[in-house]
Amino acid sequence: MNRIAVRTVGIVMMLAFLVSGATAGASLSEFEQALRAIPVSNLDYILASIQLGMTQSDFPDDGLMRLIDRLTRRTASAFEKEAVLLVIARGSSDGLPVEGLVNQALEGLARGVSLQWIEQNLSERLVLLSETRDLLYSKGIFSGSQGSSTAATPTIPTLRFNQLLINISETIGDFLEGGGSPFDGYVLYEEVRNRLTMLEGVTLSADDVALVLDRIDASDLTQVALAAVS
Amino acid sequence: MKDDAFETLLRDALRADVKASQGCLADLEERVASELGDRRPRLRWFQWLAQLLAPTRSGRIGQIAVVGATAAIFLFLGVTLSDNVPRMGEGTQLSLQPVQSADGTQEVLFVLPALDAEDVAVVGSFNAWEGTDLSDPDGDGIWTASIPLSPGRYEYAFIIDGRWWGQDPLADEYIQSFGEYSSVRYIGRGGDGA
Repeated sequence: MNRIAVRTVGIVMMLAFLVSGATAGASLSEFEQALRAIPVSNLDYILASIQLGMTQSDFPDDGLMRLIDRLTRRTASAFEKEAVLLVIARGSSDGLPVEGLVNQALEGLARGVSLQWIEQNLSERLVLLSETRDLLYSKGIFSGSQGSSTAATPTIPTLRFNQLLINISETIGDFLEGGGSPFDGYVLYEEVRNRLTMLEGVTLSADDVALVLDRIDASDLTQVALAAVS
Repeated sequence: MKDDAFETLLRDALRADVKASQGCLADLEERVASELGDRRPRLRWFQWLAQLLAPTRSGRIGQIAVVGATAAIFLFLGVTLSDNVPRMGEGTQLSLQPVQSADGTQEVLFVLPALDAEDVAVVGSFNAWEGTDLSDPDGDGIWTASIPLSPGRYEYAFIIDGRWWGQDPLADEYIQSFGEYSSVRYIGRGGDGA
């Protein structure tokens, strides 16, 4: 094998290595390194929540890494930066889908709003996620394996359940942030119905949408919204 | 002179005049018609048509029947064809609509008129809120960018020379986020994408 062939093989292998590294999600050690750059005082707790979240296929590891990177570059105290990350860590530790929280934080940073505002916004959204999940549970809609599903207590696969959870809670969050009143339950219900219907057959299953819309009503959504603003 | 005698005399005189001019009255109708022939004005096409369609006592019922039948034919054709004519968005492809690839990803066009702008970008949940530049190669003030997006819901806003603009006229809805508007598009629903 001549020298040119050896060089070619070497370049191809190097490119393959770089491409594989670029496409793979961030690893836990990379998160640790990034968090140390802020630096955070609750490193172990945040890392544990990330590790737990990474067991879910819909965990936004790339988005979270971007968020940590942008927080690091942001001119603010490490305490404020960590406060934002702690909200996401709490959500992940609680088994909630944090994709929407990460997106909301990235938007807030891009808009240049204060970290306190971002942290407050995320905290409200986290309450909404938790309350919405409790609402679905109380209506007999659970996430889990299909084998345990019955007509009375249907279980929806986790990814599909999380999509429902994200879209219902985000609709309530957007409604409240747009100046809507928690007591306008019927308007809120229409907003939720519109959004779920728009995503029916796109990212949501038509059966899941029908099930949710059949089992929840306006007063349920008012209760969830009130929990977020109180 | 008595009246009876005068009457008889007058009658005889008139009869004599008629007898004398009988030769002149022969073929009078033909001669008048031939003389008028060259002097009759030529009808324009619409006068001719009007004359042709002018109602006559015998033709009125026929005309009504023809008009009625024509209307019925057009009504039938209209109702029949209306179900087969492709509606906008079904058979036709608007230039602003996304083009879908085999894996479900669609090239979504973002368009913003900004006449005096020097720099326009779009940020959103599809690019982690990091700007994707819009371009205006012909300098007409219409800035565009085509971004491949998988089906779903996306929030976004434009940044025009550093200022955020969250009310895209092509958006499906608007929400308020951090006190400002953001636009929302649903991609993949019924192929609208707008």
